Amino acid sequence: MNERFSTTLEGTADAAARSTPPAVARRLRGLSDRAIAWIFISPTIILLLAINIFPLCWAIYLSFTNYRANRPNSEVEGVGLRNFERVLTDGDTWLAMQATAHFVFWTIVLQTLIGFTLAYLIDRKFRGHAFWTTVILIPMMLSPAVVGNFWRFLYQPQIGLFNYIVSFFTGVEPSSFQMLGDVTLAPWAIIIVDTWMWTPYVMLICLAGLRSIPDYIYEAAEVDRASPWRQFWSITIPMALPFIMLAVLFRGIENFKMFDMVVLLTGGGPGSTTELASITLKREAFESWRTGRASAFAIILFVAVFGLANIYVKALNRVKQR
Amino acid sequence: MAEVRLESVTRRFGDAVAVDHVDLVIADGEFVVLLGPTGAGKTTTLRLIAGLEKPDGGRIVIGGEDVSDCAPSERDVAFVFQQYSLYPHLTVFENLAFPLKSPARRMPKDEIAARVNKVAAMVRIDHKLANRSTALSGGEMQRVAIGRALVRDPSIFLMDEPLSSLDAKLRAELRVELKRIQNEIGATLLYVTHDQVEAMTMADRIGILAEGKLLQIGTPREIYTDPVNLHVAARLGHPHINLLKPGLLPCESVPGGARTIGARTEHLEIRPSAKNDANARVDWIEHLGDQNHLHISSEGEKIITLADPYAGINPGDAISLSLKNPLFFDENGHRIT
Repeated sequence: MNERFSTTLEGTADAAARSTPPAVARRLRGLSDRAIAWIFISPTIILLLAINIFPLCWAIYLSFTNYRANRPNSEVEGVGLRNFERVLTDGDTWLAMQATAHFVFWTIVLQTLIGFTLAYLIDRKFRGHAFWTTVILIPMMLSPAVVGNFWRFLYQPQIGLFNYIVSFFTGVEPSSFQMLGDVTLAPWAIIIVDTWMWTPYVMLICLAGLRSIPDYIYEAAEVDRASPWRQFWSITIPMALPFIMLAVLFRGIENFKMFDMVVLLTGGGPGSTTELASITLKREAFESWRTGRASAFAIILFVAVFGLANIYVKALNRVKQR
Repeated sequence: MAEVRLESVTRRFGDAVAVDHVDLVIADGEFVVLLGPTGAGKTTTLRLIAGLEKPDGGRIVIGGEDVSDCAPSERDVAFVFQQYSLYPHLTVFENLAFPLKSPARRMPKDEIAARVNKVAAMVRIDHKLANRSTALSGGEMQRVAIGRALVRDPSIFLMDEPLSSLDAKLRAELRVELKRIQNEIGATLLYVTHDQVEAMTMADRIGILAEGKLLQIGTPREIYTDPVNLHVAARLGHPHINLLKPGLLPCESVPGGARTIGARTEHLEIRPSAKNDANARVDWIEHLGDQNHLHISSEGEKIITLADPYAGINPGDAISLSLKNPLFFDENGHRIT
């Protein structure tokens, strides 16, 4: 710490100590500023260590062992990097990663496009825009478990509303296709549900971005003879971009670890077409009980998400600084 | 550049009349300043000319053409806003070039660069062309905003208190520069302010607005020496004009019907006096360096005036105060000449 800064701090602490009652003051005066600072942040640190850091370190340790959680008393042996090797060379891992990439990519594309468009329309401040904002936000407020179960009914080929609506617009027989049972349709079925549920969230963030652009910028552009098209591309998009990017980041991280909703909809099937990385991971850990190998997979996923997110945040900061 | 004419222009917001039948002609190449307190309708008048507001009545004619129903982009006006209103994600150069890049202009790239460089030199920002507009100081931002209006060569420049967010020193500096630039290019300029110094120093003519009405328009000299009513008289002059009851101070001839006498510094004569013929007393003195503000009381009335700091007047002194050609106003506040 800078010397001058620390003297000021000590000065403040002295002043505080002088103004507190004598008994407390005597006790406090014995402690350095640093010690007092540690006392204040220790509850948080302890909780963080117990709930986040320790399990992470423990999982890292387990990933180098053959530990199995269903046999707690058997001997644990170190296996070196073998778990990592197995995960990375396993074809199923890569299928799960592909399914995840497909899911993450298309949910982000659709949610960003639709979310931004909705935000742009709501931002026009027409009559009743507040009411419509609330209506649009409803899916986001539901529990993923409810959404999963609810959409299973909507996708039901005989009685489901979804098939009837598709049939109404395209003329195909409602019971002639199964959204959740077909290998080509199932990956899109989960994308549709996630988009339905989370587009409002992207819209909300984009709306905040659009509202942050002051009116006078548009007025200046209008006087400067910029067409609405040019105003959109040279003012609206660049100024809302940090917000859009933030929404993409949040949705990307969330969907990379998507589990609950998809399990309830398809359970990973048919076959393993919708088996996302987190579902594979759960099977590995709590159905096959290969805890060591599951830990290795979890760590690989963590490094991947963490690395990608970091690169992305750097880009985001660069956009923000412009 | 062109002549701009407002004919009985009116704008209402709900029940409030922001601009009330304003008639105003700004001649080609003229610098007109609209002066008035907050809420007088100055900004609304500018926005009406720019097309950012639509008039509820009357006509707006720019260069002989009725533009009352035209969009801002069809009017060929340039607007400098009170806030800096730069495009924050663009550089200074891109900000200055923005109006020229309008597809309607089809201006070649090298010509855009030449114009931007010329204007940047004019507003003295040419050393920062590559900077982000958000990385500038307040004064620099406002120069860019003014520059962005200047590159356009529009029919009229509209400026809405462009200097009000700057500190006093910078304001004085830019005031002089703005006047210089206006002279240089012979611009038609309508400028809104509530700062009487800006109005007095820059304007060819000043229009005084109050409650949406244009009370008086004339040269700074006319407005100062020959105000039509109490409100106009009170807008200009520092210290503020003293409003006195007739008969309080000796005066040569008071016209009949005069209910209020307006006395500026130059209308007050101060003589140090012996106790017996004194009619006023110096309460205290504010020293401003080049001049002193005298706070005087006379029969309970407070009077503020200027005095030479070397005149040898001290707080507590008894003085004899008299009026010399002051302004007279009737019961409705209208001037009696």
